[in-house]
Amino acid sequence: MGDHELNPERAKKTEERSRRNFIAIITAVVFGVTAAAMGLFNLIFMRPRVTYGSPAKVRVGRPDSYSPGSQLELPENRIVVRRQGDKFAAISTVCTHLGCTVNASDIGFACPCHGSVYDVRGDVMGGPAPKSLSWFRVSLAPNGELEVDKNQVVDPDTYLEVKV
Amino acid sequence: MSVDKVKLPADADAGKGGLIGTLKAMPKRVYHSVFRFRPLPKTHMERSQAVAANFFLHIHSAKTTERALKFRTTLGLGLISLYLFIILVVSGVFLMFYYVPSPDAAYDRMLDLRGAVFFGTFLRNLHRWSAHAMVAVVFAHMVRVFLTGAHKAPREFNWVVGTALALMTLLLSFTGYLLPWDQLAYWAIVVGTAIAGYAPVIGEDLRFILLGDYTVGGEALLRFYVLHVVVLPTVLTLGIGLHFWRIRKDGGLARPDTDEE
Repeated sequence: MGDHELNPERAKKTEERSRRNFIAIITAVVFGVTAAAMGLFNLIFMRPRVTYGSPAKVRVGRPDSYSPGSQLELPENRIVVRRQGDKFAAISTVCTHLGCTVNASDIGFACPCHGSVYDVRGDVMGGPAPKSLSWFRVSLAPNGELEVDKNQVVDPDTYLEVKV
Repeated sequence: MSVDKVKLPADADAGKGGLIGTLKAMPKRVYHSVFRFRPLPKTHMERSQAVAANFFLHIHSAKTTERALKFRTTLGLGLISLYLFIILVVSGVFLMFYYVPSPDAAYDRMLDLRGAVFFGTFLRNLHRWSAHAMVAVVFAHMVRVFLTGAHKAPREFNWVVGTALALMTLLLSFTGYLLPWDQLAYWAIVVGTAIAGYAPVIGEDLRFILLGDYTVGGEALLRFYVLHVVVLPTVLTLGIGLHFWRIRKDGGLARPDTDEE
């Protein structure tokens, strides 16, 4: 400060420099914020609001189309529907390792990709799978068909009782 | 010194003999407007100007070291990568004329390429094998650069650019893998994107954005197609430009300090 009083020329130069710095900083901030906003917008843009893939709720036919003690694999929907007595359940066939479709086997389920093995309940018996297979909520749709909601995971051994 | 100062033979003929003379000189003028040097340059200055004035040659420096010209210095791996990329771009454009990125059509179009398109099988195999080769050659190039110490100062940044290019090559391979839409492709991408899903915190979102859906389907095919044919090749092309330019600016190929200039 003292310097400036002694040397007005220099004071003016310093003032000019600080003004220039100020403008540079403001410009950098404006550009930076704009770039960041654009990056964010691009990310939001790339994140679809509507998906066109298979729906989470699927109708899987009337209860009486299943015979007691049977299970039906639905590879399109990647679930098995199981009937035990008059109780129904749906189990995911998406391998919890890397998403291949597991096949029903003698002891439960087996994944063809990396050899994960599950028991009939969907619990891991071997292989790289980190988690058990999910069980999904089964309900009765108004038209009398069974409906599986793949967004609703339920505890294993949760069955829907239906008067067939 | 600029190239324009060099006296060209055609300049002498111009302006002589009126209209007829101008017309007579026309072919020469056109030729020399395109090709600036004729006859062949004789002095070092003219030669270096001829290189600098040519769009295709100006990538080269006017001078080079004897070491750089020896095949065993680089095994030509960088240039082979470039040529493979050029082959891939050209064959890829041809494939685009017959390919449709939709779940209903993609696999059939791929089969048609093999059965119903003239030279289609050759084209598809050329693209596929060049892609495999490019991954291998880029990796070999990386090993060569590392073993010859060419990643050291002042070329550190170009090493970083190079690793980005290698990553682009892998991403191109990965995105292209889905396009035939056969069982192998489908499950490879299911598994590959599931691996992306394992990334901490952002994994699930990353996978969702990459696939455009919760599962691999039409959206994923379209996204991978756009990435494969537009986004990644453009980025890779720009990156290659930067990579080559830096080689020039860093003084050509790396060589031992003991080498004479």
